[in-house]
Amino acid sequence: MATTASSPLVHRGLYRTVRVLVVVVLTGVLLAGFLGWIPQLAILEESARNLYFHVPMWFTLMAATVVSAYHSVRYLQTGRRIRDVRAREAARLALVFGILGIITGMVWARFTWYEGTGKWWNFDPKQSMAAVLLLIYGAYFVLRDGIDDPDKRGRIAAVYNLFAVVTMPFLLYILPRQMQSLHPGAEGSPTFSQTDLAPAMRWVFYPSVLGFIGLFWLLYTQRVRLARIRDTLREKPEL
Amino acid sequence: MTVHPVSASDAPPTRPHQQRPDSAAYDSAAYDSAWAQTEMPAAEPYGLEPYMTADGKVYVVLAVVLIIWLGLLLLLFRTDRKIDRLERRLDEDGSHGD
Repeated sequence: MATTASSPLVHRGLYRTVRVLVVVVLTGVLLAGFLGWIPQLAILEESARNLYFHVPMWFTLMAATVVSAYHSVRYLQTGRRIRDVRAREAARLALVFGILGIITGMVWARFTWYEGTGKWWNFDPKQSMAAVLLLIYGAYFVLRDGIDDPDKRGRIAAVYNLFAVVTMPFLLYILPRQMQSLHPGAEGSPTFSQTDLAPAMRWVFYPSVLGFIGLFWLLYTQRVRLARIRDTLREKPEL
Repeated sequence: MTVHPVSASDAPPTRPHQQRPDSAAYDSAAYDSAWAQTEMPAAEPYGLEPYMTADGKVYVVLAVVLIIWLGLLLLLFRTDRKIDRLERRLDEDGSHGD
């Protein structure tokens, strides 16, 4: 083991500060999200508030995949097991937030754009490509399960992870941008231009993105600490 | 981030099927332009629809928030259960080592 049980994986003061900030920010986002003024739109009506919840899931997924890829690179460079653990847990949380994002997107569309049609899945380009991305990251875990030797597993998984993260901006942003889509930012125009997002909503939206990314970091740190304890116990049967 | 109003003279040209959001004829149905060509059957609301679309569809927001909240709670409880199992193992192995 490259790290001893006593060396901290994360600075405790930093962790506690982030935890407090995340709780405060996300509580504020919840309050402002339900009570604040939003522009009145046809079809969407109050459900436009989902902007504060559904979209940050995807920004969090993007942050998580980048964190995971970073640790995969470091694992290939150093071979330290903790890097592989970090890459795996970040990818796991990316998958969790991605699944939450897909489900919330389906529910949002079902009762607004597809009201009266009974359609839960729309084959919207961004939606379908996001599902493909989740399959790619799901396959990362299937790949890991198939290899017994930890070093080999870490290396092969790290290489796969780097390929996976490269697909992420294409699937989530570049390709849907060019196609006809329900999502803002389609048909060649950039996402969240001034006409796509009302200035009043930006005040809640940006803190929500930061809050959920902070929440990802907290959960990821927890799981890395947990994994490290478990690995330590496995390697020291006398404990 | 400052928002600069786009005047009609220096706005980028629109394609034939696009409408500018600040034009009088614009409404959010323009986002639906891709689907305007397909005939969507407007059935009578059934099942969940009468409840979810009431009150300005705010319950759709509630559903989304609940899904996220419960999903994260699930993760929290799973992680806690793993920690419990590890602590139990620590206690057992610790007593054997005495």
